[in-house]
Amino acid sequence: MKKVRILSLLSVTALVTTVLVAVPVAANAAPACDGKSPIQSCVGATSDGAPYAMQVPANFNGTVALYSHGYRYNVDIPSAIPLIGGYKVTNTPEPVPGGNADVAKYLFSQGVAIVGSGFARQGWNPDSAIKTNVELIDTFKKQFPKTTKVIAWGSSLGGVITQGLAEKYPNLVSAVAPMCMADNVEPELTMAGDFLWGIKVLFDPTIKAGNYSAGAAGVAESYADLGKVFTVMGKLQAGISTGAWPDTSSATGKSLEAAGVPVRSALLLLGLMAGLPTQSAHFDSISGPDGALKLTFPLAVSPALAVLENGTNAAALAILATQDVENQTGGAIFDNTKTNYAARVDSERVIFNAALSGNTVIDAMLGALSTANPGAPRAVANPAAVAKMRALHMNTGKINVPTVLMVGMADPITPAGASQRLVDLYAAQYAAEKAAAVKAYQTTRDYKNPTNKLLMLWNTTPSSYTKFSAAGAPITSTPAAQGTNHCNFTSAQLVLVAKSLVQASSTGKLPSGGALNTAVRKAGDLSTNKGISVPLLKYYGDN
Amino acid sequence: MKAMNRRKLITVSAVLAAVSLAVTAVPAQAAEVGVTSSEIKLGMTLPMTGTASLGYNKIPGAAKAYFDYLNANGGINGRKVTLVVKDDRYVPTEAVAKTNELILKDKVMALLAPLGTANNKAVAASVNPARRGVPVLFVNTGFSGFADTKKYPTTYTVLPSYIMEAKIMGQYIKDNFAGKKIGLLYQDDDFGTDALAGFKTAGVNFAVKVPYASGSQGAAAAAGWITKFKAAEADVVILFGVSSATSAMLGVAAQLKYAPQWMLGSVGGDATTIKLTGVPAGVLYNAIGFSPVPATTDMKDEYVKFFSDIYAKAVPGSAFDLNVLLGMNTAFMTAQALKAAGQNPTRKSLMAAIDSKGSTFANSALVPAAYSKTSHVGLTGYWVGKYSPTGDLAPVGGTYVTYTTDSGAGAVVKSTYVRPAMPAKGLPN
Repeated sequence: MKKVRILSLLSVTALVTTVLVAVPVAANAAPACDGKSPIQSCVGATSDGAPYAMQVPANFNGTVALYSHGYRYNVDIPSAIPLIGGYKVTNTPEPVPGGNADVAKYLFSQGVAIVGSGFARQGWNPDSAIKTNVELIDTFKKQFPKTTKVIAWGSSLGGVITQGLAEKYPNLVSAVAPMCMADNVEPELTMAGDFLWGIKVLFDPTIKAGNYSAGAAGVAESYADLGKVFTVMGKLQAGISTGAWPDTSSATGKSLEAAGVPVRSALLLLGLMAGLPTQSAHFDSISGPDGALKLTFPLAVSPALAVLENGTNAAALAILATQDVENQTGGAIFDNTKTNYAARVDSERVIFNAALSGNTVIDAMLGALSTANPGAPRAVANPAAVAKMRALHMNTGKINVPTVLMVGMADPITPAGASQRLVDLYAAQYAAEKAAAVKAYQTTRDYKNPTNKLLMLWNTTPSSYTKFSAAGAPITSTPAAQGTNHCNFTSAQLVLVAKSLVQASSTGKLPSGGALNTAVRKAGDLSTNKGISVPLLKYYGDN
Repeated sequence: MKAMNRRKLITVSAVLAAVSLAVTAVPAQAAEVGVTSSEIKLGMTLPMTGTASLGYNKIPGAAKAYFDYLNANGGINGRKVTLVVKDDRYVPTEAVAKTNELILKDKVMALLAPLGTANNKAVAASVNPARRGVPVLFVNTGFSGFADTKKYPTTYTVLPSYIMEAKIMGQYIKDNFAGKKIGLLYQDDDFGTDALAGFKTAGVNFAVKVPYASGSQGAAAAAGWITKFKAAEADVVILFGVSSATSAMLGVAAQLKYAPQWMLGSVGGDATTIKLTGVPAGVLYNAIGFSPVPATTDMKDEYVKFFSDIYAKAVPGSAFDLNVLLGMNTAFMTAQALKAAGQNPTRKSLMAAIDSKGSTFANSALVPAAYSKTSHVGLTGYWVGKYSPTGDLAPVGGTYVTYTTDSGAGAVVKSTYVRPAMPAKGLPN
């Protein structure tokens, strides 16, 4: 018995791995299926050329789980670029998150099939990806007529695609789970633009930080920016210890340095202005090494290191997504000519006052970054490009079907605020539904309490997690803490989402009560507490 | 007959449906979070460990000493008051995490006396107790902004604001140090911003102002501060910072034999705390200090005597100092608020009780509180004292002369406030 189960797991793992290998198939042809059992695999391509993969268990119960992968760069990255160099554009289908075998095994055990597309284009692609998914659902149903229910889920940009699918085509899906969901394109790229602009105007004015040229020239400019930003990040890392500003700093930056502004404070301010989390994979902004720095480190240093770690994680996507969307829309899309950065950090300047080195330093930095300083020129967008960007797919936040959200509280790329926005909107939606039910009762005398359609799973950070060596240096070689980094979920957490979707598609109701509490506790590092509330992306405070 | 039965059934069904709706639409009165038939649970965050904890870490013990006394005498309508204390080490991000724990895990009814301007602001921004309807009682900071009922609708201050304190200091300077060169050391955050606003209103012109960033205070920094005060030839130096800044300054000043007329703000002016850092008591001699409550050595004062006796039994061997007195005073006021909140207190009734009766709560302060339906302002003034050779603050001239003012442009006036007498046995009526 044990042997069989082990073999089964190995088999699932192998199958999922197989699916992650691209198989060229003619567009819009019928799926090519291998007819194998217990798992039948099919591959094909939708009419737009997007390759897809399907896996259907022998005990298929009519439910299929459609997964949408997250953002993939749409240009190859030269190997010389640090951290992400050597990446090649791929449209390999991904029918479960990251090819996670535990997730696939669970779904197969429930008789649920899995399907996923690699999408026709990479980069910012919800418009085309939603169309691809609609076609893929139809293709699957035709291939497997027993299909009765579709559950959809996705990560990061795949979360946007999933939510968009549920908003535009609620009749196609019975439950959805946007995980570590990105916000709409403008709020997301405003966050990216704010941070890159700050890095440029303080630490290296040769960084373009947007407004890239069209076509190949713009791609080359984005490569150059990647190299420069990562170089600056390396210098900042050293500067946090030594106090030195990068030698590439602008005149504005050098004047702040001359005035005695610590570079760590400047970096933290940029992170706060953009809305980057102040907890990161290894820096909790709470812990300090034993000894003299026990209090000083979390008060004055750790938040800047968290911004450094988060900013480094997010920088590549910020640059490449900006370049991609500019390419799609025909011009610069980031505009901060009217952004009031002082207002942006009004509450945080007190919270992080020590790390920002006090009001005098904060005011000096904000003055240097204000519109009054010609040494910190603001970015000006192309109105036509902005209009085109706003015409790209945007989620309204309407919840039409049972929906599970899951996000890390300190996700640096798709901040938890993007999910909070849906939570807030759904609270208003539910209140309106309840009011309508009460009103309907007055004529029908039949009161039906609206069914809750939202389950929010917050992936929480530990109460403290920064580790220090015996010498008191922070350790950054350990795995990222839960609740930090991008889509940093465990298999158990992903399986919980899958279980919730399966239940909701079957009963129409999301898990709740004691059963949910037990499942959440077992999955670990999750909270459903309705009292949790996180800030929205900074964009929403400006508009 | 059958038809009648069907009609009756329909009628009954309709009634049941209506009842069902009523039950759904109007939930049954649930017990308040943190309140059971036998307990009222409150939560507190403050630095209990680390360099910032000195002195402050006695506050929970002081508050618990009073609550234990209260509980031993029947509690609040039979419910004992318990206090859950979390150490935030004076780190705002940790205060956020610990406050979340208090609200979400410990499920306290209210937050009590959370300490620190930055920490309370961090909690307000990130945890948002107001949105959750959680009362934040008697915050342990004098930042005037927390009295803004629109921004912090569930927050109540208790300490006089830093603006009030600076205005009263300014008045004292005008009356006693006219023509002297005045220097100011202040914390470069909202704490200091309040002070600057108060001094500006009072019309104080400084020969030199020295800001320090929170967390940067220490002996090395203090040496630099002294250089600046010496260069400006300051006759009077006001230390408007936290205890660790005051201690660093006085300690280094003693070594360098720098001895201007010191004037200490109430936050950093607790002699017991300063002496614990190794600063000789003699350095404090003749320094000017300010306090809203009686001198902690004034055993003729019925409140001081009462609290001192309870504390001595609860925490034997621990000095009765300003932090202890303020901690017990806050607990005493809280007990009265809970009692006034009704037989089954709720978060709303607790806040309503302070709004309507808070200004009449008995407490040790020698200055009035300004609670009302439109004001969450606590105490509104100070008396002025000088430190003795042993470091004890005593009123100038031997009798308390109290001054009261507001956080705006109002004048500083001598207070005519008559403090309520201690209730029988020190228990809420």
